[in-house]
Formats: sequence, structure tokens, C-alpha cells
Amino acid sequence: MIPSAATKNNKPFYKKLAIAALLLLLMGAGIAYYIFTEKFDDTSKIASAYTVDGMTMLQEFAANDSAANNKYREKILSVKGIVSETETADSSINVKFADSTSGAYIIFAFQQQHMAEARQLKEGDAVTIKGSCSGGTYSSILETTYITFKRCAVSN
Amino acid sequence: MKKTTLMLALVFAATATFAQKKTTTSATVSFDATTSLDALPKAENKTVIALVDTKKGDVAFEAAVKSFSFSNPKIQEHFNSKGWMNSDEFPQASFKGKIVNPSAVNFKKDGTYTADVAGDLTLHGVTKPVTTKATFVVTGKTFTAASSFVIKLEDYDVKGGAIGAGKVAKEPTISVSATF
Repeated sequence: MIPSAATKNNKPFYKKLAIAALLLLLMGAGIAYYIFTEKFDDTSKIASAYTVDGMTMLQEFAANDSAANNKYREKILSVKGIVSETETADSSINVKFADSTSGAYIIFAFQQQHMAEARQLKEGDAVTIKGSCSGGTYSSILETTYITFKRCAVSN
Repeated sequence: MKKTTLMLALVFAATATFAQKKTTTSATVSFDATTSLDALPKAENKTVIALVDTKKGDVAFEAAVKSFSFSNPKIQEHFNSKGWMNSDEFPQASFKGKIVNPSAVNFKKDGTYTADVAGDLTLHGVTKPVTTKATFVVTGKTFTAASSFVIKLEDYDVKGGAIGAGKVAKEPTISVSATF
């Protein structure tokens, strides 16, 4: 059977369509692979949105927690303060800056690659800690405000 | 003299009452919703506030939802989004309960004890009763508490396409551990 002129003309079009579909599929798979295998960057290598004093930050949350959350939450911050306590959390260490008057505190959970730096810190040390701010909220157990940070690194 | 004695008695009573309430701000809550299709939906929060009242048997914890740390940024974003935990509107997950059989744990004697705990878990703005076993390990003046239980996400009105598609477990495991 001799192919018609129309069928002959469609062949290159279908071929191009198949190649385009394959390319789109590969691109989609590549993007999906990138998104779902992506890890958080090392916090020490990310620029801070703000550098702030810990006690000033606690005062900002005490004055207007909604505004403070909007300003700081989910941002990388550098927070200056004095270590009031270190606490063991499973196999890792958390560092706290606390306001001795109100009991309000900021707590920093460290990135695995920066855990050794956290272990060097002790009560009374002046330090700047960089991390991802998870925001502040009120604890009905402790009856005070607390601000949490994750993926932290010592900044100085 | 009588007044001084009374004052001292009050101070000692207050100290004793305070001492029975043990708290930590570094308890850990982990969330494991992995399936055979996806190993990513699991996270840990290591800045959880927890309480055990060794005399009354009260147990409680509070976890800031945004403090759950995932390995993958996109999964963490999904977890906090409106379609999931909606952490902007419901920033905290909490549990308030009691040791049902407090005589099962002797906080004054070293050892490993298992007790029943019952209480209310509040997640995504929904409160549901939870019962579980908890293990207490007493060592000198400190002790650890650990528990693990399974919840149904639909009970807490947490829904999403990924759950239906089998990429997120419908019944994730919640594990809690704390040192007091």
C-alpha cells in the first residue's frame, strides 16, 4: 500500500511531538528529583535577614507578638545574647537566652554539622547564634513567651 | 518566733510543691508519616516544653508546629501549609493528661517503670483523647520519660492529596521523649 501525501506530511509532526513530550517528561522528572532530594543549606552560609539582640527580640514579642512573628518568622536571623543555659535534647544540645525577670526565653536547636560548636558553649558566654526563626508563642505550661529557632550555627 | 516558724513551714511547703513539678524546654517530639512510596515525611522538634508532676501524675507537652524540622524544604513547606497543619493559624500542638496508674512509677527509686497515660492531644485545632504506655527511667535525681503512639490524621481534620496517594501515612507515629 502506498501512503497518502497527508500521512507522509504528518510523520515529522508526530515525531516532533513525541520528542517534545519526552523532553518535557525528562524535565519534569528532573525538577521533581531536584525538589524532593533537596536538603536545607548550611545556615552559616546564608545571609541573615536581621541581626538582633536577644533581649530586644523578647521585648518585641512581649509588646506585639503578631507583628514580631510577621517580622521574624521563617527568616534566618543572627541573635546576640548571653547563654543562660544549655540543655540536652536526645543526643543534641540546645542553647537558651532567657530573661531572668519575665522567664521568657529564646531556644536554639542546632544543625547537625554545628553541634560541636554548641557543645563548647556554657552559661555566661556572650555569643551570636544564626538560625531559622520558628516564631514565638505563649506556653501555658511555663506561663511565659518562648521563641524557637531551628537549624542553628554559632555565628562568631 | 511562731511567725518565723510558720513562714519557714510555708517556704518549705512551697518548695516541695514546686519540686514535684518537673519541666524541660528541650523535650523531643518526632513525627513519622513515611510510607513505602515516600521516606521524606518525617520530622523532629527538639525544643518541646514538657511537664511531669511526680506527685499528682500530671503529664503535658507543648510543641511549636513550625519548629518541626524536616530534611527536605518542600516537605516542610507542605507540612506547615494551610492544606496541612496550617501552622500560622494553629501554631502549637499540645498534650495534657495524667498517669492513670501513678503507683506503677516510683520516682524516688532508680529503675525502669511502665505506666499508662491518658489525656487529650490537640493538633490542627482539634482535640481528641489519646491513651498510651509511657516508660520512665529513674536515675538518681533525674528521670527520662518516653512514649510512642499512633494517631489518625483524619481525626484531626488533616487531609491532602498526598495522603490519598499513599505518599503520607494516614496513621503516623508520634514519639515523645524528655529528660527531667
